[in-house]
Amino acid sequence: MFSDSIIILKKELRRIFTDRRMVAMLVLLPLLMLPVMYSVMAKMGASRDSDITSFRSTICIYEGVGNEDFMGPFIEAFSTINTDLEIIQSSEIDSVKLAITEKEKELLLVMPDHFHESLAGCSTFDIAVYFNSTADYSQHAYSRMSEVMDSLNGDIVRERILERDLSEEILTVFTINEVPLQYDLAKEGSVIGKIISILLPFFIIIYLFVNSMKVGLDTVAGEKERGTLAVILVNQVSRLSIVIGKMISVMIAAIVGAASSVIGLIIGSRYFMGMFGSSGAAISSYSMSSLHVLQFAIVLIPLAVLVASMVLIVSTFARNTKEGNGMIMPVYFVVMIMGMATMQTGDVAPRWMLSTPIINSLLVLKEIFMRSASWNSIVTAFLSSIIFAAILIYLTLRMFSSEKILFRI
Amino acid sequence: MLRVENLRKVYKNRKKNVTETVEAVKDVSFECSPGEIFGLLGPNGAGKTTTLRCISTLIKPTSGNVYIDQHNVLDDEKAIRSRIGFLTSDMKLDGFFTPDYMMDYFGALNKMSKKDIQLRKEYLFNELQMTDFIQKKIDKLSTGMKQKTAIAISLIHDPEVIIFDEPTNGLDVITSKSVTDFLSKYAKEGKTIVISTHIMHVAEKLCDRFGILVEGELKELGSLKNILERNSSDDLEDVFFGYILPGTEGEVNHV
Repeated sequence: MFSDSIIILKKELRRIFTDRRMVAMLVLLPLLMLPVMYSVMAKMGASRDSDITSFRSTICIYEGVGNEDFMGPFIEAFSTINTDLEIIQSSEIDSVKLAITEKEKELLLVMPDHFHESLAGCSTFDIAVYFNSTADYSQHAYSRMSEVMDSLNGDIVRERILERDLSEEILTVFTINEVPLQYDLAKEGSVIGKIISILLPFFIIIYLFVNSMKVGLDTVAGEKERGTLAVILVNQVSRLSIVIGKMISVMIAAIVGAASSVIGLIIGSRYFMGMFGSSGAAISSYSMSSLHVLQFAIVLIPLAVLVASMVLIVSTFARNTKEGNGMIMPVYFVVMIMGMATMQTGDVAPRWMLSTPIINSLLVLKEIFMRSASWNSIVTAFLSSIIFAAILIYLTLRMFSSEKILFRI
Repeated sequence: MLRVENLRKVYKNRKKNVTETVEAVKDVSFECSPGEIFGLLGPNGAGKTTTLRCISTLIKPTSGNVYIDQHNVLDDEKAIRSRIGFLTSDMKLDGFFTPDYMMDYFGALNKMSKKDIQLRKEYLFNELQMTDFIQKKIDKLSTGMKQKTAIAISLIHDPEVIIFDEPTNGLDVITSKSVTDFLSKYAKEGKTIVISTHIMHVAEKLCDRFGILVEGELKELGSLKNILERNSSDDLEDVFFGYILPGTEGEVNHV
């Protein structure tokens, strides 16, 4: 039986890996596309940030009644921002608000009337700052303004304390981790592993599924469409050999494609991982011991078998690849949601997640990246994937025996 | 020797809780001996493809039997499959591969040794005049070349019984002639050949005996001469149209 499966497997692999277009789509494109895409995104992001910070915004200020002689510290503070200041009258407030909505001006400060009395009496007063959160320049000016105002607030408070012959330290009750020591007691490498574990299992399942789809839908539905499946079925090869041979070829293609995509992602991570508080170089330097690689393979290979079996059953049921593409999309969305669910779990995942195939494998992959996976959970994930894949292969075999499904009579 | 006995195939379709029954093949019986070409004629939907699929073990008959030598399709599929070569006209081989590779692949699936595959390839490539294009990708071949490739693939394991569904469908005159000439020669080697077609002049030229299938029923069975005499006609096409025109009733006429 296995020799027949190998004949089918060899032919399917030859079909996939000697076709230049297929190799480009499966291996080269993700390997090159992701780094190129992320570097372009990073460059565009940097260019946008530079444009926003270099932009000279217009800030309009209504000083309020009776405050003319007390605006000095505020004007001085605002001058540290890259901005043009415009002093306006109360009659202009509405038109300035409209201009901010229309993205023609960036910010409006409305000072309360006679705020100097509150300032002198050490009571709190409120300054209204109008901005447009959908306008990048206005949002940036608002952030910078808030920083400057906080700083000014602090300066005034410090002055008041000093005037009363008190120490500045009265403002700080205690500090945390000011002495330079190693306070984070996480296992070595697990901090970067934690960052990787948030994203990588999700990408792994998506890439496995997408690459299985690229080759798997054609493998049976395509043969049905071309009429070649009937010719294979009248040969002396068992249906089980056909299913196993095709399933393994889809699995290999999925793993190769996913590996290529993940390598592309890691190269691309240099450009986009900054947002997780760790440099791209640190992510790239993350390494796994041979034990972790073994654990990774024990979970990943059965997961790839399960994914390949899911695609194969749809491919077998569909009349042609077009119908198969339509049928696989809801399955793809479910898998995508499963992947997203694993991104949001804490240290202890709910029981239902641990007993759900695919999700439990992804959770174990997360633990492997963080170097905290137990053999118990690895074996559970392995068995769960294998059992569900076996059920799907059995159902696919039943379909191969169904005249209605094979010939859509 | 192929023997079809009282073959019946019923399809059941369930739509909105109502089971619809279609009797695609109704009590069909015929034989085809070694060295003989049997033509199953009929319009689209007559049950030709269903009959050929039952013979080829692709689908199971509802009742009746199909024997190849002493092996029955119902309980000895493996023995049947080793003895038949099957081809449908709507088969489109994967364009990425070459005819040479596909022959190796199907030869291996038929458990042939590399040496036997090589010998068989040489014979079929010569007989079907394929040597010029065996290393070209199937995508680059003409319709006729593709059909020759499909025929060669179905014959790689040197089957005793050959079942061809519309073997000359869509072919130009020259390729069609080369295919029919090959089948005639092949039959003379003692092979049992069953073809389905709706092209009357191909059937007349190629087949030794005929069955005319209309709405699943075998309306005529016999040699060309017998059928023409029985229907007082000198043209098989007239007999054929006589059965498929609306309101025509006919009894099964055996010879």
